[in-house]
Amino acid sequence: MKKTGTAENHHMSDPETWLEQYGDYLYRFALARIRDRAAAEDLVQETFLAALHARENFKGRSSVTTWLAGILKHKIIDLIRKESRNQPVEDVEPFIPTFDDLFDERGKWKIGPSKWTVSPLELYEQKEFWRILDLCLSELSSRLARIFTLRELEELSTKEICKVFDISATNCWVMLYRARMLLRRCLEINWFSSETCEDK
Amino acid sequence: MHHWMGNCKKVTQMVSESLDRKLPLHQRLGIRIHLFMCKFCSRYRKQLLILREAMHLQERYVKDTSPTLRPEARERIRRFLIENLNKLK
Repeated sequence: MKKTGTAENHHMSDPETWLEQYGDYLYRFALARIRDRAAAEDLVQETFLAALHARENFKGRSSVTTWLAGILKHKIIDLIRKESRNQPVEDVEPFIPTFDDLFDERGKWKIGPSKWTVSPLELYEQKEFWRILDLCLSELSSRLARIFTLRELEELSTKEICKVFDISATNCWVMLYRARMLLRRCLEINWFSSETCEDK
Repeated sequence: MHHWMGNCKKVTQMVSESLDRKLPLHQRLGIRIHLFMCKFCSRYRKQLLILREAMHLQERYVKDTSPTLRPEARERIRRFLIENLNKLK
C-alpha cells in the first residue's frame, strides 16, 4: 500500500465510521446538485451501499472522499435520468418562453441588460444573493434547472447531457439558452438594480 | 456580413451556445464584431459569465453553510449500513 492516504484508507475497513467521516460531505455535495433534502439523503444512503459492495475494488489511488464523490456523481446522474424518463411529456416545459418582452420584431433589445458591476466573489458574503439565486433556479421548470445544473456544476458536455435526457444537441443548446435567459433576467429584476433604459 | 449580425436576439442565442461548444470561426468573428458595437449584448455576455461563476460559488456556499444530515436520516442510514454489512459477513 502506498504511504499517502493510508490514514484515510484505514476507514475503508470500517464502514461504520463512513457515516461519521463522510456523511455530511456527501450530503452537501448532493444537496447542491439536487436541491431536495429527502432525495439527497437517499443518495447518500445509496452511495454508501454501492461503496460497501465495491470496497474490495478500492485501490487507494484516490482519496476515499474522491472515491465516494465519484460514486455519488453517478447516482445523481442516474436519478436525473430516471426522473426525466418518468416525466409526462406535457410537464416537461409548462410554458415556452419567447422573450418577446425583451426584443422587438427585428431582434433588437427592448429592455437591455444592465451592467452588473459586482462579481460573485464579492457577492459571496451576501446571503440574500444566494437566496435569490436559489429562488430564480426554483422558478425554472425542473427539467431546465436540471439541465443547467448538470452543465454548469457538473460540467457535463452537451453530448453527455443529450444522453441523460435523450434529446438532440440542438435541443440541449436551446434549453440552456432558455435557462440562462430566464436566470439572468430573474437575477437582474430581483438583485441587480436596473439602471438600463435611460442610456439607450 | 451575416444576416444575423444585426440581430441581438440571434446573437444572444449564439453567445449562449458559445459557452457550450466551439462555434465555427465565421460565427465567432461575427459575434465579436457585434459585441464590439453593441453595449447590451456585451453586457449580456458578461452576465452569463457571472452566472456561470455564481453557480460554481454556490456549491461552495452550500458546503460552507454546512447543512448536516437530519438526525433521523443519519440514524436510518446507519442502521441500513450495519444491516447490509452483516449480510456481507
